[in-house]
Amino acid sequence: MAEARQNFDPTKPVNMIELTCDQVDSIYQHMLSKGMPEIMWTVDIQKFCWEEIRDAHKNGKKLVAFGGPVPVTLLRAFDCVPFFLDTIPTRIASMEDLCSRFIDETEKYAPTSMCAIDKAQLGCALKNEMGVKFDAFVHATVPCDSARIAYPLMERVFDCPCFTFDCPFRHDDKGFQYVADQIEQFVPWLEELTGLKWDDERRAKLKEINEKANKAYEILIQLGDLRKKKPCVLPGRMLVLNEIIAPLAGTDEVITMLQTQLEMGNMLADMGMTATRCPEGQQPYRVCLMQNMLWSNTGIMDWMEKTYGAITVMDGFGYQDGVIIEDLDNWERVKYQTAQSMLLVPMIHGATGPTEYWLRVIDKMYDEFSVNVSIFMGHVGCKHTWASGKIVTDYIQEKYGIPTLYVDVDAIDPRYKSNDELRAQIGEYMESVVGAHNFRKDQ
Amino acid sequence: MSYEKLFDATVCTESAKAWRASGKKAVGTVCCHVPYEIIYAAGVLPVRLRATGCVDSSDAESWMSSFSCSYARSILQYLMNGTYELDGLIQTDGCMMPTRIFDNWEHVSKKQGKDQFCYQIGAPRITKDITIKYYKNELQGLADALSKLSGTAVTDAGLKAAVEKYNEIRELVAQLNELRKAEKPVVSGAEALAIMIKFGDYTPDEYIALLKEFLADAKNRKPIEGRARLMVIGSALDNPDYLKVIEEKGGLIVAEDNCFGERNFGEKIVVDDNDVLGSIASYYLGRNTCPRSLDNRPAIHKEIIEKAKAYGVQGIIYAKMQNCECWGGEAYYLEPALKEVGIPMLQVEREEQMANAGQLAIRAEAFVEMLDK
Ligand code: SF4
Ligand code: SF4
Repeated sequence: MAEARQNFDPTKPVNMIELTCDQVDSIYQHMLSKGMPEIMWTVDIQKFCWEEIRDAHKNGKKLVAFGGPVPVTLLRAFDCVPFFLDTIPTRIASMEDLCSRFIDETEKYAPTSMCAIDKAQLGCALKNEMGVKFDAFVHATVPCDSARIAYPLMERVFDCPCFTFDCPFRHDDKGFQYVADQIEQFVPWLEELTGLKWDDERRAKLKEINEKANKAYEILIQLGDLRKKKPCVLPGRMLVLNEIIAPLAGTDEVITMLQTQLEMGNMLADMGMTATRCPEGQQPYRVCLMQNMLWSNTGIMDWMEKTYGAITVMDGFGYQDGVIIEDLDNWERVKYQTAQSMLLVPMIHGATGPTEYWLRVIDKMYDEFSVNVSIFMGHVGCKHTWASGKIVTDYIQEKYGIPTLYVDVDAIDPRYKSNDELRAQIGEYMESVVGAHNFRKDQ
Repeated sequence: MSYEKLFDATVCTESAKAWRASGKKAVGTVCCHVPYEIIYAAGVLPVRLRATGCVDSSDAESWMSSFSCSYARSILQYLMNGTYELDGLIQTDGCMMPTRIFDNWEHVSKKQGKDQFCYQIGAPRITKDITIKYYKNELQGLADALSKLSGTAVTDAGLKAAVEKYNEIRELVAQLNELRKAEKPVVSGAEALAIMIKFGDYTPDEYIALLKEFLADAKNRKPIEGRARLMVIGSALDNPDYLKVIEEKGGLIVAEDNCFGERNFGEKIVVDDNDVLGSIASYYLGRNTCPRSLDNRPAIHKEIIEKAKAYGVQGIIYAKMQNCECWGGEAYYLEPALKEVGIPMLQVEREEQMANAGQLAIRAEAFVEMLDK
């Protein structure tokens, strides 16, 4: 669903970063003028995220594009600004014009079946419209085949130093150690890139960044705990905002954002209120979107809240967990746990490995978050998760007695399915299978 | 002549059945990064699975969804419907689709009450010292598990004997492909592919005997003339009928680049006696079977161009399976590179089930026409 037509001239080259910074800034100014201090923090973080990228060179830092799980904290320790390329598609997913511009470019050369997360970022690269020049590109061999089309192509388009992490399917000691060994090799590469030495000063900096990343993940876990409570005080769409932790782990700004969210949530809980749109706080349904987040239509979560009192407590690729790095002075442990955190991040933890890993995520969600409505919001590009869909949904049916709604969506490309169609599919399921009351019909 | 059975592309499991009847184990493999030698050294017969002739994969589709690649889906179908009755499945994380054949088969076979040896090995997607070391370690794990399964320890001597056996196959397949370089080859593209996919239907000894018989008789075969020499590249292609459609329109397929043709065999393995398993690991990870890796695309493109030159190819057909991302993004750099050496490329999409043969015929005919001018 398109929220708005974009203010760019389609006949001229786009500067993706400038455009995004301008848009975020105009939302910021609008909120300022309307006097909405209680939600400014949701925009502050976005402003920081995009302006940090835009101003990296001005601030004397190296700008490093990245894709897949990479050790972001190390990049920051070497004074680089990491730019998570997935934030392009997730940011522009609701902007039909811009999104189609990049997706269509990729489809000239690659299959339409490719994941639109990759199509959008690759299209932006192929059109040379990022608006910034990268000093390096660091990526992994996961999450999926779509990414594996995009990364090597972008490597050649960006034409800058590159480092690839080979991520194994196994998430066990063998797999973690393998990635940890590659982190060891990453350090001299970073030294060469930045001209900085892996010395005491750098180690101290990494420790400081890891402390901050730990703090952020601790709050994220507390936010997850808050979402476990009944009623859930935080709206579904807050799950989307929290994904920003991926590129910003180790910064003060992400801690501030999460802390504010937590304080707000706790305050609401204490007052017996919620920030969700569920009618009169009634929340009979706790939904798990068991695959991807629907960035192209995050409003659907508001609609489910308003219409059925159905709150999205968690999503299958969700960011409500994290590895807390212990023993920050022990480099071997730090490497190992960083590797763990790389292999356990969303999309990687559930989608890239054997289906069994996804079942573990499902158990965690369904057990701890008291889920009673299960929706496989299946992103069409994510074919490998579709290919484990039956194993997973059968498991949910057998173990939790919950039938799952399958609905095909494109998490990024808003042209795939209209809002009305999607609402009709979900609505029919909620009313005829779940037996939900439609609160809007009362109005 | 018994080698004629090499041209019958239908999946035939008689050899595997006989092997199992003698009390030994036979397991299926899907991707090119499962070394046959290790399985064979454990006294287990490796069966390279294929989906040739699968016309209905609806049972598998209910597990893998319609968004999956139909080749992978059809293999799962053949496992589910008993076309393949084997003792297990060994797989790498080739592309994401075989990974899901593995997951689903492990799950479904359990439900069916079948006792299956399901083993997955990780094959890194970049090739350097650290990744080869990791892969070797994964192969060691496989060797140990297989030894347990069969009761035959995988030893260096066993591995070397297996390498010798499979190297012989590699040598014979190279001879087969050498025949295709001739101006008027004695084997068509469809026939050559049929011969190569039959590799999965026989024991190595049987296959060697059949190949030898064919090669000995090759000189007596009628030379074939085509209007345009073609090469087919792209996703897994295990269906000679697909090539037949193109050849019936005047194309002569003299080479291919996909994981069922020559790529499944490759050069011979050179073994370092001090590190036999390491030699196998370096070989399998180092060869460029498909674009599943992230660091081998330019090398694959170069090899395609060199091969095209060596076989006097006039045009390339890039046949992508629907929903196949692994082979999805090559055109961006490959097409201009081919243009530079004057080789045009036709891109087509296909499914395992030959539903669009008519459309393929029209496009192939137009392509041949263009090249023949
Ligand atoms: S959503 Fe699925 S297909 Fe898309 S990038 Fe993530 S893992 Fe790959
Ligand atoms: S490489 Fe393509 S054709 Fe082969 S299994 Fe993967 S998706 Fe299917």
